[in-house]
Amino acid sequence: MEARVAGVPEDEESGLLPRQSAAGRRPSSRGPRFPPPPAVWATVDGPLGLPLEEAEGHARRFFLWGFACLPFLWAINCCHFWPVLRSPAASSPAAFGPIRPYVVRSAIGFTIFSFVLITWATTFIVGGERLFGPAWNDLVMYNVADKLGLSGFMG
Amino acid sequence: MADAAAAVPGDPPASATVLDSLGEDITRIVYPVSACMLLVVLLVSLLSSPSSPSPLSASIAAATGGGDDIPTALFTALTFVVAVTAATFLLALLFYLRCTPCLRAYLGFSALAVLLVLGGQVALLLISRLRLPLDAVSFALLLPNAAGALALAALAPASVPIGLHQAALVAVAVLTAFWFTLLPEWTTWALLVAMAVYDLAAVLLPGGPLRVLLELAIERNEEIPALVYEARPVDPRHGRNWRLWREGRQPGADLDASSTTVEAIGEVLGRNLDANSGNSSSPQVHDAATPTANVNNSRPRATLWAALSSDSTVEHAGEASALQEHRVAVAEMRVPLIQPRPERSGEEEEDEDGIGLSSSGAIKLGLGDFIFYSVLVGRAAMYDYMTVYACYLAIIAGLGITLLLLAFFRKALPALPVSIALGIVFYVLTRTLLEEFVVQCSTNLLLF
Repeated sequence: MEARVAGVPEDEESGLLPRQSAAGRRPSSRGPRFPPPPAVWATVDGPLGLPLEEAEGHARRFFLWGFACLPFLWAINCCHFWPVLRSPAASSPAAFGPIRPYVVRSAIGFTIFSFVLITWATTFIVGGERLFGPAWNDLVMYNVADKLGLSGFMG
Repeated sequence: MADAAAAVPGDPPASATVLDSLGEDITRIVYPVSACMLLVVLLVSLLSSPSSPSPLSASIAAATGGGDDIPTALFTALTFVVAVTAATFLLALLFYLRCTPCLRAYLGFSALAVLLVLGGQVALLLISRLRLPLDAVSFALLLPNAAGALALAALAPASVPIGLHQAALVAVAVLTAFWFTLLPEWTTWALLVAMAVYDLAAVLLPGGPLRVLLELAIERNEEIPALVYEARPVDPRHGRNWRLWREGRQPGADLDASSTTVEAIGEVLGRNLDANSGNSSSPQVHDAATPTANVNNSRPRATLWAALSSDSTVEHAGEASALQEHRVAVAEMRVPLIQPRPERSGEEEEDEDGIGLSSSGAIKLGLGDFIFYSVLVGRAAMYDYMTVYACYLAIIAGLGITLLLLAFFRKALPALPVSIALGIVFYVLTRTLLEEFVVQCSTNLLLF
């Protein structure tokens, strides 16, 4: 039987809170009690996501690879480390410190990229032929696909 | 309160613990299957025009000289099954030789190819059909980006949010299934039946390639490199990174010597499990295998490709080699089986570790199952929505039966045969009997 600390909820999510467990119940345990899990997780998946030590490496790698014309990696970075982004800078836990700059810069990068892209696309759609003249027909995707025969394989 | 609270998870009979989250587990596997089928039905409804056959089916008809008839269909289906068997044996061989970088690179290549080529084609078809005024520059910027990001998400589940990883797998399945629905009608049905039979044989017969692969994986405590959909565990404490975290934070832990590698954890967990619960090693070792790191996948596609291309030009003159390549790509990506979620009877003992040794909490379904379910429903959508509803219900019922059998037998089972059989039976029944009934009722203003 498990003895639990009074007041700790017993539902399935109790694993998210630090739990004190009595030593000696594991058949092979013969050492100090294990420390409780961290109270905060850096990723949006919570306890199913990355452990804190690996989080910084991932954040940095996604940020740097985003510069290779892959701004969606920045978006993934922001979504993945959403708790880091949302916690206010003053009161965020110390573990978030090294991760935060990368995530914030990824967010800025993705915002700039999406702003530029949406502006261009909207101008193209709304402007139409009045703005671009005959060049519009050369640029619109379905004409380009027909000209190059790109969708011929599937019909 | 502590006592009452302690009594709840403290000494549950195993069935109560399983039943607590059984509904949630099943729901978490039915949602993505349904989403995949829904997307394929939508794509088929939007994009297919039954009057004009697609160039793909026209080319097959021209190549095999017969058009859409049963012998051609059987021949094509048989070829495909042979290709898949060969590819799976090759995969097993490579897995045996531990060429995981090749396997991983190959899998990455095929996922990227599906997302880029097939995804691009589908996007172009949608744009043309719906006359969306998207410009070429944005398209050229967005497509490789999205394809790369989704391919990364599909292959490296640890680096991206779980939701995105699952969405990427579903996207790959949707695109491949849509591509399959472009085949001629009899070929599609023959293919489905052939794949169901192959699945049954490959997983259950002692010499079957998938069984060989599974036994290798179990022996070595490694994960099979493949695109496999894993449902999110219901209890967050059972996530693998919880275990990794625990191991990493306790350098002086007594679990094992000084090793903190995941494989060591796996082995130790496996040993602990065997000591504690004393059950057969197979499900627990599978469970221990699940916490190992990301799937390492790839296959030497180039050599197999070349071999198949030469075969194809010699044997089936004119059968589009593109078709062969794509088939091989699909064949090697899929693992058509469903793997069990190990029992939780030992949970109370290991509970205080927070490790959840006896359960990874996840049902795994191979991507091939997603693909062929969606192909069946997509083909039903080409006829009418009535058949879609009937086949959808039949497939979900089949999936439920398979999960039931899984809980009963506790080892990897083929997920295709039951669902495909039910789906085909219901399709035939709907087309012959139900439609007649509904049409008569409607025209006589009785019902519907």
